[in-house]
Amino acid sequence: MTSTALKLNYLQVKKGLFSWIFSVDHKRIGLLYLYSLLTFFVAGVTLGILMRLELLNPGKDLMEAKTYNQVFTMHGVIMIFLFIIPSIPAVFGNFFLPIMLGTDDVSFPRINLLSWWVYIIGAIMALSTLMFGDGPADTGWTFYAPYSVKTGTNVTMAVLAAFVLGFSSILTGLNFIVTIHRLRTPGMGFLKMPLFAWALYATSWIQLLATPVVGITLLMIVAERVFGVGLFDPAIGGDPILYQHLFWIYSHPAVYIMALPAFGIISEVLPTFSNRTIFGYKAIAFSSLAIAFVGYFVWGHHMFTAGMSGPARIIYSIMTFLVAIPTAIKVFNWVATLYKGSIDVQPPLLYSLGFIFQFMVGGLSGLVLGALATDIHLHDTYFVVGHFHYVMFGGTGFAFFGALHYWYPKIWGRMYNKLVANIAFFIFFIGFNLLYFPMMIAGLMGMPRRYYDYLPEFHLPNMISTFGSWVLAVGLLLMLGNLIAGFWRKREKIGRNPWGTGITLEWQTLSPPPITNFDRMPVLPKDGPYDYDHKPDIKE
Amino acid sequence: MPNSGHNRDAEASKLGMWLFLFTELLLFGGLFIVYMVYRTLNPESFLIASFELDVAMGTFNTIVLLVSSMTIAMSITAIQLGDAKKSIALLITTMALAMVFLVVKYFEWSAKIHHGLFPGHEVYQNLPPGESLFFFLYFFMTGLHALHIIIGGVIIAVVIYRTNKGLVNQDRFTLTENAGLYWHLVDLIWIYLFPLFYLIH
Amino acid sequence: MIQNAENIKEKEHHHISSYKEHFSTLMALLLLTVITVAISVFGADLRTMSVFTALLIATVKVIVVSYYFMHLKYDKKIYTWLVMIVAILFISFAVLTIIEYLNR
Repeated sequence: MTSTALKLNYLQVKKGLFSWIFSVDHKRIGLLYLYSLLTFFVAGVTLGILMRLELLNPGKDLMEAKTYNQVFTMHGVIMIFLFIIPSIPAVFGNFFLPIMLGTDDVSFPRINLLSWWVYIIGAIMALSTLMFGDGPADTGWTFYAPYSVKTGTNVTMAVLAAFVLGFSSILTGLNFIVTIHRLRTPGMGFLKMPLFAWALYATSWIQLLATPVVGITLLMIVAERVFGVGLFDPAIGGDPILYQHLFWIYSHPAVYIMALPAFGIISEVLPTFSNRTIFGYKAIAFSSLAIAFVGYFVWGHHMFTAGMSGPARIIYSIMTFLVAIPTAIKVFNWVATLYKGSIDVQPPLLYSLGFIFQFMVGGLSGLVLGALATDIHLHDTYFVVGHFHYVMFGGTGFAFFGALHYWYPKIWGRMYNKLVANIAFFIFFIGFNLLYFPMMIAGLMGMPRRYYDYLPEFHLPNMISTFGSWVLAVGLLLMLGNLIAGFWRKREKIGRNPWGTGITLEWQTLSPPPITNFDRMPVLPKDGPYDYDHKPDIKE
Repeated sequence: MPNSGHNRDAEASKLGMWLFLFTELLLFGGLFIVYMVYRTLNPESFLIASFELDVAMGTFNTIVLLVSSMTIAMSITAIQLGDAKKSIALLITTMALAMVFLVVKYFEWSAKIHHGLFPGHEVYQNLPPGESLFFFLYFFMTGLHALHIIIGGVIIAVVIYRTNKGLVNQDRFTLTENAGLYWHLVDLIWIYLFPLFYLIH
Repeated sequence: MIQNAENIKEKEHHHISSYKEHFSTLMALLLLTVITVAISVFGADLRTMSVFTALLIATVKVIVVSYYFMHLKYDKKIYTWLVMIVAILFISFAVLTIIEYLNR
């Protein structure tokens, strides 16, 4: 008789700070990422709130123009490099990929730990730009030449930080690719892998292949600043648009690094709370690869007004429309999964539904931007700001928090207050839409982005948006507070399958899992990872 | 667990190394794209600037690296056949060739710097547009490449040390193979750098 | 926690390239190098084609190095596929970028 009390779980085995920050256990590394990530996220949100306070009224409210530029730059750098890009892969990928594959760790556990340390070093470097010289970079997170070369702010350090953070991302991607190729449990072919694993696989290839290009580009900026050599200076035969090409060759695929794992989360949550198999497993799996592939060829749509040649712009626009197709396929399949499912309305499902709505708004607005004629009017306006916040925050952000609510009982063996979680979701959702929808309107009306001041005609949408940011903040605080408070709730016994309808392998093991992930060999469902017709009989 | 992440898995190490090589290819790839664009925009300047480079030295260095690729490939054959001594000798030869390469590079670079053709120096500042781009790319790309040769040298030194201690042997030679892969990458990059900088006409 | 047990699947027969094969490979590479330099130094008429010829020969050299020295010929096919995909990806970046410049 195996008493679970005799088997220590991964939280209990070895205690103390050093056993965590030098752990090679993928579960602990995932949590190290979670705690650091959430800290930086809160810092990024604070910067966002400050920006919205400045934009409450026209004219100077809180800060000078240059400070505002530094705030939005820092906001972007933190949110993109310190939060969104690592988010789902580094937290939930690390924690659950090995478990979902039926193995006990990733292929290179020490490189996994290294990736977290590199991330922390990069984060420290990025935050250090606050502490010296002329302050943090004021170029925007895109660091466009020639301003990024000429400005006296701490661009060199910021850009080197991004380089280091990119290295962390590459290591994670490399680890996951090898893990997926080598460590799937016997009987689990690629087409029997959960869709979250497929999503991580596609994402990892982007992390691996796209990141080095921005890495070298950022080094070129450093070289220009340090050696005074104009690599992007027209006076000596250079071209500033070349910087943009190289920057976006990474940064467009980067948005798929953000989106694909989120799609993977939705594909996991929906079957569980519909208690039925996912619709179109193969279509969803292959669409992830298609998005990764086509996504490499659309980068010019960030540069339609920069001065590119006509034929190039047409090519990029066509490719941009193409890349929307596999994403649409996913949305149709998700909706079809819900249809005639036995719906259990729980917090993770609410976040997923919020995701589908918000990602659609963001995605459709992306088509408006992908069309050349409309983009001319909307480039560098608040329409763009609205678009990317809808997809990155309303999309990936919501998926991240949904995943947190979904896997919380498995990770910590506890449960949060679901009523409060649902209330927090609604406040968060309403706040989110109040904050970002007016931006679309302001953008259509012509309000430019990255300006700390604006014309009086844009006052109303800005006021609503700022008010929305306060509602969002309340929702966020309530959500995070509720999750943290879950640790002090009266301890209920969390079984292997607390939602009752989870079917992927993590729902066969203990909550929290033992150090080697499984106390018994996992049993694969007969007809694929979402085979609800032949659910394996899992005894506690 | 048969498929444990904590088992030694030679195939996983090899795959991991190849994936890492892909990142290196794209890292240098970015610089090759810059080169391509700027040569397209400044064809005459690039041609004129390239006359400053010594084709004989470049060819010599190309041959040196190709031979070193052979010696490291042979060192893998040696260890697979159980001949640790030969493997080490071939690895040392590879390192020696790497040093020859770096010495030649040193002479090439110092000649240019002596002529003021380095960012920050007077002759460089006054170059026509396009020519300074050529030289900047030359120093950046061959410099980054030389850094990778040094890193490769360190890796080879580690392999020599571990082979000597018997930790790398006929049954466990993944380290040697992976060091070889890294070294060949360094060779590959030079195979493209050489014609693009030295053989423009 | 690293165990010393070999992964049982990998006891398969591992192809060992001979010293002779490596030497022949080097000879081929040196020949290609000589050709490249010769065309450049003596074949000045090929001016416009020279960059493509040079890159073409360089690519042949790269294929030889990858196939023989880097053992792709004898490894599992997936490695060759991956290398080709990465190569195509990089070429696409280059082509898309240069198309933009050539049409200005």
